[in-house]
Amino acid sequence: MAEASLTRPSPPSMIGIVARKEFTETLRDGRFKWTAAIMALLLLTALASGWQRYAAYAEMQAAAQGTSNTQWLKQGDKNPHSAAHYGNYAFKQAGSLSFFDSGIEPYTGNLLFMEAHKQNLAISRPANDMSAVTRFGEINGATILQILMPLLIIFLGFAAFAGERERGTLRQLMSMGVSRQELMWGKALGIGGAAMLAIVPCLAVGTAVLAALDVSAAPDLGARVGVLALAYGAYGLIFLFLTLGVSALLGAPRNALIVLVGFWAFSVFLAPKTAAEISKLVHPSPSLGEFQAEMKADQVRGLDGVPTAAKFGKYVRELMAQYNVESPMKLPMYFPALRMQKLEEFDHVVFDHHYNSLRDTYMAQRRLQDALGVFAPVLPLTSASMGLAGSDLLHHDTYTQAAESHRRLMVERMNGYLSKAAVDLNGVSNSSNYMTADEEVFAIVPPFAYAPPDVRAVLAEYGGGLGLLFAWLLAALGFALFAASRFRLDVR
Amino acid sequence: MYATIVGHETRVLAKTPALVWVLLLLIAAVVFGAWSASNTVARNSAGGQAIGGYEQSLRDRMRADLAKYEAKVKASGGTLEFAAVNHAPGEGPPQATNAGAVGSETAAYAVLPPTALAALSIGQSDINLAYIPVNMRNVVDVTKENEIENPVNLKTGGFDVAFVVIFLMPIFILAMSYDLLSSEKERGTLAMVLAHPISLAKFMASKLISRLVVMIAVVLAFGLGAVAATGGDLANADTLVRLALWFGATVLYCLFWFALAVLVNARGAGSATNGIVLAGSWLLFVVVVPTLVSLLATTLYPAPSRFDFTTAAREAQTKAEFERMQALDQYYYDHLELVPDGDKKANDFLTLAMANSAAVEKAVLPLYQRFQAQLDAQEATVARFQYLSPAIMMQRAMNDIAGTGPGRYAHFMDQVFAFHRAWQEFFTAKFLKREPLTTADYDRIPRFSYAEESLGAVLGRLAPSLIGLLLVVAGLTTAAFAGLRRYRVAG
Repeated sequence: MAEASLTRPSPPSMIGIVARKEFTETLRDGRFKWTAAIMALLLLTALASGWQRYAAYAEMQAAAQGTSNTQWLKQGDKNPHSAAHYGNYAFKQAGSLSFFDSGIEPYTGNLLFMEAHKQNLAISRPANDMSAVTRFGEINGATILQILMPLLIIFLGFAAFAGERERGTLRQLMSMGVSRQELMWGKALGIGGAAMLAIVPCLAVGTAVLAALDVSAAPDLGARVGVLALAYGAYGLIFLFLTLGVSALLGAPRNALIVLVGFWAFSVFLAPKTAAEISKLVHPSPSLGEFQAEMKADQVRGLDGVPTAAKFGKYVRELMAQYNVESPMKLPMYFPALRMQKLEEFDHVVFDHHYNSLRDTYMAQRRLQDALGVFAPVLPLTSASMGLAGSDLLHHDTYTQAAESHRRLMVERMNGYLSKAAVDLNGVSNSSNYMTADEEVFAIVPPFAYAPPDVRAVLAEYGGGLGLLFAWLLAALGFALFAASRFRLDVR
Repeated sequence: MYATIVGHETRVLAKTPALVWVLLLLIAAVVFGAWSASNTVARNSAGGQAIGGYEQSLRDRMRADLAKYEAKVKASGGTLEFAAVNHAPGEGPPQATNAGAVGSETAAYAVLPPTALAALSIGQSDINLAYIPVNMRNVVDVTKENEIENPVNLKTGGFDVAFVVIFLMPIFILAMSYDLLSSEKERGTLAMVLAHPISLAKFMASKLISRLVVMIAVVLAFGLGAVAATGGDLANADTLVRLALWFGATVLYCLFWFALAVLVNARGAGSATNGIVLAGSWLLFVVVVPTLVSLLATTLYPAPSRFDFTTAAREAQTKAEFERMQALDQYYYDHLELVPDGDKKANDFLTLAMANSAAVEKAVLPLYQRFQAQLDAQEATVARFQYLSPAIMMQRAMNDIAGTGPGRYAHFMDQVFAFHRAWQEFFTAKFLKREPLTTADYDRIPRFSYAEESLGAVLGRLAPSLIGLLLVVAGLTTAAFAGLRRYRVAG
């Protein structure tokens, strides 16, 4: 059966003929050669430099984390609580595909000090150590595909219908018996294929790099790459269908070009900034000073209005009643350690409240920006791309939360050890000088390590945005088919 | 003749609905930009006030404790005593007498006030902290905090007037002038006009004048409106000079795009080709070249990792702790004049901590300076390559004029470092001598007040960008008008 269908000569596909003609014609166009060459060169430069940065950073990060974990162990004999003050550093991992999309990595701290009493913000933000010129944006694989790919598609396709109409070949073409829909599909295939050629180097380098990556360290890499390819494919198709639709509907190629370039400029330059400002307006976030002042004040006065000192007094009275002793120094644990640990725990509530609300505000801002993607498809694409590349808020939050969990564990274990080991020192003045611990004790805190979120978490966060992107694709396709059924054959 | 053409062109421009719409959009963008940027400025100021006020309130409370203690001592006829750290509250002298405790546990905020034009260009003011907490910590720790803002928004960049000027204004200019000659030629009116006693160059000049007038009126309205909207004081000399510089730079930048349009028109191609060439130039100068220069600078001079000096600082800390008596000796050696009578070197927790911090600072400072040198080299690279794109020159100029660039921030940080030294000296002296602080001392605690840099310094930094822009404009204009001489009016 299959044999038979293979041997039967297939009817000439009009779509195939149109596509081949568009493809060949585009390739022969000198302007295409130039644009494609420039684009390919930029992509190669961006991917190569992105890879070099990624590799250098990943190596540095692993080394620094190893050193810091060792420094924790080898810090020398001292009071366990002093050890918690010495603390440890959490170094942020680079996103597994950040060589392609560095996302917010230049704008987030990659170094977090984990110490007793304080939840710190990640510091050492690369953007602070770079020239202001970097604010024009970073050139990487993602930004080139987000900004330049649509422009390339517009340049290749704006005259697809309008040009033929102007030259009078559109009517001629229709007389060959091609249907309007077939013509649209054929042109889409041909021009889309030519545009793909310009992106091939990106795919080649991308594959080579993926082969070099240690896939065992990130088993979800394949899924991430797959979804990224789908998202960028959809984005390119959106512009392809919009371009062909506009070219079919508008009279002159010049008008089609102006409308399309206008939409492109709005979409990739104006919309992101406007969306960011709108999101800041709807979900205002505090400055560092406001954030710190509020948090410090809450640490003293208590979130629930009961001052921390009063809460602690109540706790001690209850504890004394429980153990039936008349002084905290008579408790069967080292009181200073108990006190420090309890105060830490009161602080946890305050820290969680403020840090979570900051994180929620940032997330809400980003989600609103994604939703504003109904006006510009680049908005949800940018977000999802960073998420899949591992260089977004979600990955940053996983890092900071892992660091905070580790900090709490470290402090709790040190105080816990102290409260048992130093029970005989209750009430002794300057007792902290007599209680030292060594490497063996410090080793009850595991070395700091964390795992980035899984691709499923990424998809859960960005699924809505990706959905919007595919809705855009359907709408653009619908528009192109509508335009196909309506276009005029002649210049009026 | 000039007047006729200028009048005619202006009327034509005003009757082109697309241009009127673009202009209205541009005005809306400027209003939105000035407003949103002023929110960022206000947010920074609020941050400084909130945390600065909080820390001041801590010291005020300490001062009040101290006043109570002083009254008690005075009533009992005793002498003021110095409190060791962690003295249980309620008995004996309060912590407030301990200079080391006051100087470490409370911070004074060194605040960089925004200029009146800050809202015209956000620059680096959304990432550089405008209020630095100064206390007894070492200099590396004092400078490690960053202003916080959603990193997603930092990546996108603020919507400010500089964005409108650098990104959007050229689009408006090119839309007005991409077909200066080509459209006349295509309609066949060019030959007719040139049949009158006017040269092509003069005809072009008069066309440009009408557009320039529109442009300059728009720019003037932008600047004045933005400064007035954000509450800038226009009577201030500093503000006026900065505003004048802003106008100058903006007009020069606009001239660049006009000259480019003339140059492209002088090649004699059709309107569609001119449009594509000019759109491509915009993309090249505003998007591609700046990102490539940025890539070049950060690749040639990558900022050394802060990881390195974090690791080094911890090594130094461990070493200082191992050799704590030696660190203490060194600390006293560095403050020989302050060694207490009879060589009674205190070795309590706080003194050791300070000795430690000083040891760490000493170990890390060379790394820190190397780090700064690398950043300077990076900045110098950008300065050298800025001439490749008017957008880079303009960005640097806008940031310097608005006082949101690296130059003014470095000027501020120099004062912060000096203030940090003054703060340390003030508290270290009293602390090491174990002299109890008095309420009178509280009034002498160093206060930070920012001294604005001279306009000469601003001009000095601006000069390369502005002169570069001027030369590029002059060169382009000359080339464009020279090209006009070879322009074929017919055929």
